[in-house]
Amino acid sequence: MVEDSQRNFRSVYYEKVGFRGVEEKKSLEILLKDDRLDVEKLCTFSQRFPLPSMYRVLVWKVLLGILPPHRESHALVMTYRKEQYQDILHALQVIHAIQDSTPKVNIHLQMHLLETGKRSHNLTSPLDPEDEAFLAITKAMEEMVDNDVDCYWLSRSFVRLLNTKYRDSLPQLPKVLEHYLNLEDSRLLCHLKMCSALSRLPYDLWFNRCFAGCLPESSLQRIWDKVISGSCKILVFLAMEILLTYKMKIISLNNAEAVRDFLENIPQENTDAVVSKAVALWHKHCGTPVHSV
Amino acid sequence: MAQQASSWERLFLIDSPSLEVQEDVNKFIKDSLSTDRGPTLVNNLVDYYLESNSEQAVLLLSTLQEPHDKHLLDKMNEYLSKSTSRLPTLTLLGHVIRRQPSWKHKLSHAPVFLSLLKCLKTEIDIIVLTTGILVLITMLPMIPQSGKQYLCDFFDIFGRLSSWCLKNPGHVAEIYLVHLHASVYALFHRLYGMYPCNFVSFLRSHYSMKEHLETFEEVIKPMMEHVRIHPELVTGSKDHELDPSRWKRLETHDVLVECAKISLDPSEASYEDGYSPVSQRGSTHSWHRLADPAVSPYMDVHSSSGSASSTPYSTPRLNVAQASGAPSARLLTESQQDCTWSPSTLCGLSTPPTSPGAILTETHQLFRPSCKVFGTSAIGKGMSFGTPATSPPPASAPLCISDEPGHPSLAAGMVPPKKEERPSLSRQQSVTEELTGGIKTVSLHELPEVIEGLISEQDSSEKDKEEGIRKGTFVAVCTEQSGRVPAAISKELSEITTTDREHVSPRGGFDSPFYKKEENLKKSHSASSAGQEPSMDQPTTPLLDGSGDMPKQAFTPIESASKYRGDGTAECQEGAGVLEMTTEIVTPSPCKIPIEGKVVSNNTFPYEHLFELAFPKTASVFVSRKTDDLLKKVKRNEQEGEERATSLSPAEVLDRLIQLGADAHDKELNKLSLPSKSADWTHFGGSPPSDEIHTLRNQLILLHNQVLYERFKRQQHALRNRRLLRKVIRVSSLEEQNAAMKDQLKLQEMDIQSLKASLHTEQARCQQLQDERNAEVTHLHGQIRQLQHDREEFYNQSQELQTKLEDCRNMIAELRLELKQANNKVCHTELRLSQVSQKLSNSESVQQQMEFLNRQLLVLGEVNELYLEQLQHKHTNTTKEMEVLQAACRKDLERALTCLSQQSQRLESSQKRIIEVEAQLAKKEILLLEQKKYLEDVKISARGQLQALEDRYKAQKRITQAFEMKILALYSQMERESWLRNPSEETAEVAEAMEERMDSTTALVSTFSSGHGEEPYGRNGGNNTCGSGSNGNELTTPERLPSHCQEVSVPEPSSRVPLTVGSYPNSNSFLGMRARELFRNKSESQCDETLPIHSLFQTSKAELCKEVSSETKIAPGLDTSILPESHQDPRAGQLHIMDYNETTQQN
Repeated sequence: MVEDSQRNFRSVYYEKVGFRGVEEKKSLEILLKDDRLDVEKLCTFSQRFPLPSMYRVLVWKVLLGILPPHRESHALVMTYRKEQYQDILHALQVIHAIQDSTPKVNIHLQMHLLETGKRSHNLTSPLDPEDEAFLAITKAMEEMVDNDVDCYWLSRSFVRLLNTKYRDSLPQLPKVLEHYLNLEDSRLLCHLKMCSALSRLPYDLWFNRCFAGCLPESSLQRIWDKVISGSCKILVFLAMEILLTYKMKIISLNNAEAVRDFLENIPQENTDAVVSKAVALWHKHCGTPVHSV
Repeated sequence: MAQQASSWERLFLIDSPSLEVQEDVNKFIKDSLSTDRGPTLVNNLVDYYLESNSEQAVLLLSTLQEPHDKHLLDKMNEYLSKSTSRLPTLTLLGHVIRRQPSWKHKLSHAPVFLSLLKCLKTEIDIIVLTTGILVLITMLPMIPQSGKQYLCDFFDIFGRLSSWCLKNPGHVAEIYLVHLHASVYALFHRLYGMYPCNFVSFLRSHYSMKEHLETFEEVIKPMMEHVRIHPELVTGSKDHELDPSRWKRLETHDVLVECAKISLDPSEASYEDGYSPVSQRGSTHSWHRLADPAVSPYMDVHSSSGSASSTPYSTPRLNVAQASGAPSARLLTESQQDCTWSPSTLCGLSTPPTSPGAILTETHQLFRPSCKVFGTSAIGKGMSFGTPATSPPPASAPLCISDEPGHPSLAAGMVPPKKEERPSLSRQQSVTEELTGGIKTVSLHELPEVIEGLISEQDSSEKDKEEGIRKGTFVAVCTEQSGRVPAAISKELSEITTTDREHVSPRGGFDSPFYKKEENLKKSHSASSAGQEPSMDQPTTPLLDGSGDMPKQAFTPIESASKYRGDGTAECQEGAGVLEMTTEIVTPSPCKIPIEGKVVSNNTFPYEHLFELAFPKTASVFVSRKTDDLLKKVKRNEQEGEERATSLSPAEVLDRLIQLGADAHDKELNKLSLPSKSADWTHFGGSPPSDEIHTLRNQLILLHNQVLYERFKRQQHALRNRRLLRKVIRVSSLEEQNAAMKDQLKLQEMDIQSLKASLHTEQARCQQLQDERNAEVTHLHGQIRQLQHDREEFYNQSQELQTKLEDCRNMIAELRLELKQANNKVCHTELRLSQVSQKLSNSESVQQQMEFLNRQLLVLGEVNELYLEQLQHKHTNTTKEMEVLQAACRKDLERALTCLSQQSQRLESSQKRIIEVEAQLAKKEILLLEQKKYLEDVKISARGQLQALEDRYKAQKRITQAFEMKILALYSQMERESWLRNPSEETAEVAEAMEERMDSTTALVSTFSSGHGEEPYGRNGGNNTCGSGSNGNELTTPERLPSHCQEVSVPEPSSRVPLTVGSYPNSNSFLGMRARELFRNKSESQCDETLPIHSLFQTSKAELCKEVSSETKIAPGLDTSILPESHQDPRAGQLHIMDYNETTQQN
């Protein structure tokens, strides 16, 4: 209650006047001050607002279950995690699965494979699409997080989230995209259907990798905020926003391959705006999550 | 120059006999005048005129238009300064002025005017003087305003010439002096008429000097006798009469008439005044009062009393004459004639005052010829003689009247003594004359009345008379006014030729007064004047002597005139210009006789008779009838004459004739030798002067001038006459309108009368109807009254009946009331009866009760006594018991109370305790909750930690698997290497190993499937050694893996084996140790044997890997379902019930 009184009494009005996220950091701090972190509230918060970067890793860890909700046990759990990482790393080194020259991403992949028990001994064999996705995600995560332990744990948990929680919904996303695209811009949809590009859009990149490698990390982490906090639909809206943003360009392209190529290598500038628009679009169509703070 | 030369040449052609040439030249000159502004042509014309005395040149010059006037005046001025050309220049000036050019106002400023004045002041030639004066007199009324600055000059000229007349410094012929005198007389009139105050003051100052006294006595005084006092002398002043506003309204002819008004000279004044100044006065006066419809007292007086009333204005002598005559006649007429015919009423009411003037003027013009005719026979005498002649018979009445107006003229001409005779004459006339005479006298004064009023109102017989009167008046007018109008009448009257007329008319136009005065002068100066006396006497004597002769004389004039004219013409033709003049001049008065010859004048007497005769009654009627027609004709003629101003009017023809005659005469005379001329003259009885011809010529010139002057005056009068005529016409039309209005008025009055009559009848009927109505009304009233009476009776009866009815009703009501009361009473009584009966019964019962009670009372009393007795017996025993009992009760009560208080205290304490215990219970519960929460937290955190540990464990498991796989791989490699060393043996062993392997794999699978169930044991065992276990594992793993392989390869049939096998990686328990030993032993023992089946191991490893992968695939389901159970310790399971967050965490 004392903390509440310390809060800026104007915070209620900022949003009314149109300043969004002024008090986000503070409210997040308040949330994080609780002894037992309220995961649900954190979810709502992160769905509603972009997370401040200094708390992002912590929140992600909590949301992904890397850290327990009790802050007291954070340190302990983290040592466990670290030890686990070290063990796996050591094991890999022992079995010569990795060398010193092996890139971190691959190490992480090997570690992941080891943990999931899918590690193949044939190092030359081609990587699975899942492994590719993990690689991409880890690569992106590496950019976002400095710590290797964190990086591994986050990417591992993220991928696990995709594979468990969103396992059923991810395949539905292309249809959802078609639905919303019809609402937003039926003409573009028609065009895509015309040139039979709709089925050949880079869904793998978009939904399975969660745009890792498609967008710069600074923009990407805002999307992942939403994904981690429990909404995979944001991926649909981001995809739709990308389509809408580059609508003219896409319409000018009649070839499905060309469309796919273009979408796989969209320009890296201005992605922040695209992400913001996508978030707005998502809020528009799916409603703003109730602010429970 | 050529053109000028040609024009000059053409100038000579003006007088060419050919009319065409004349017209051409005239036209040419007019054209050139209109185009050329230079003075040459005008100068040439003037030169030509002076040379040739051409008529055409005069005509042209006198009609010169504006821009040329200056040249003309300059030229004339130039010639006027030369003595030789002075006379023709003056004549030309006279011609020009008489034309009244549009630039006449410039005359006064022109140098020629100054030079004219100078000439008049200095000239000694009497002809020039006379001409100049006439020109000046003509000019004066044209420039009344601008002429005032030359007043002194005018007066000087007058003074000089008047003295000249007397003294005759130039010693010219007297005949010239006569002319001069006449012109001076005219100047006198003009100056007196225009500037009376100035002139009188001049006269006063000039003739107060001794040297001029004689002139005054001789010349001025007689002149003054012919003027009356100018009104301006009374009302005006010297300055006032020079005031330009005075002249503004007046035209030239107005000025002339103004001047003529103040003249008493009949000839001078007659133009406007008619017969006498008095009558003129009246007429003018009445003319002034044109606008006045009401009759002014003055008019009444004037008209009623005739001339008598107007005496103040006219000279007494005339007034006496007329006043004495006219009133008496009028009185007579009034007494004898109808009342309507009184002159006073006529003039006062019905006569328009203007008409006399108009008629007079008309008559002037109309009857000028006749006047001439009449006048030539010596007007004065003829008239005088005529009056007595006409007076006796009624038929000759007109003549008598005509004579009467003649009186003034006569009287004017006569000397005072004769005037005195006139009254007597008039008296005689009045006595002798009949009614008509009276009427005529009236008509003389108020001719229009007679003409208009009488015509309409009088009877036919009277009309005849009036006609006669008119005729007479006409004649009279003619006699007075020497008109020169043509024609028709003169034709009818006599057989006068046009030429005669032409001759006669101008002569008639001459002023007789002038000649009278001349005669008077002559009388005074010369002996010949004596002839006058008889001539004057002659008319009077016949009057006085007897009227019998008079008619004859009265009738003579026509014939005599004609004869006389014949004589006159003869004389003229004979060259006796003087005679001509004299005849003309003399005609009005006998004065002429002495000049030319009394014979002529005497001859007139018979003519007068003839004239009278030629004027019979019938003729007079006829003349009167003709007058109206003539009036119109003459008017027309006059107008035509006016229009043809440039063309030759008869007057001009006369002028020319005179001139021609004079020229012819000159020629004749020139042809004749002087002696013969003288002989001729001697034959005529005059002195034979050597320069007779010259004199005659001059006289002719003078006469011509005079004639021109008179004509100018006539023209002016004609102008005025026209104006007056217009007014007359307007007045007559008004009169007619008036009459029409009167008729209408009468008709309306008639209507009114008839309407009034009908009104009366209607009123009568109305009255009758009203009476009838009244009667009926009264009758009806009676009926009404009777009916009312009846009605009242009935009413009374009904009233009575009603009262009876009322009474009955009242009675009934009373009865009913009584009935009601009775009923009430009955009811009441019944009620009371019942009450009483009830009471009765009650009282009875009460009595019974009383009795019963009394009895009871008695019984009770007895009982009471008994009880009293008993009481007295028992009273002492009962009180003791009671006291004891009470004390016992009290004690019991106290005991119970104490017990109660104790019980309540206990209750309270127990309740307090209960509360305390409950509070403690609540505290404990809260604590419990807190504890639970705390436990929850701890549980969750522990679960988190456990989760991490679980993960770690799994990872470790995976690591060990990886290690194992690695180890196995290494083993297989080692086996292969060893097998390669002795590849021949052990093939059978390989087969066995393969079989073992197969078994081991199945065993492994079974251990895996059942391993989970044993886990709790393992965990329980391994809890304490967890930290060291990992080290132990690492250390032991190389050893374990082979044992495991051995175990796999050599499965034990016991049920424990899979347990140990499944749990060995986890625990360091003795079982694990033993299993490891077993594995080690087996592996050591089998080391040699298993080499050949190493290849088989490879395949089996691949299969194992597949199994593991399939396991992991199933793992999620196992994890969720089995794991939670597995890692829940019993305490947790106990707490599970309180775990509120369980579901959320699981999710």
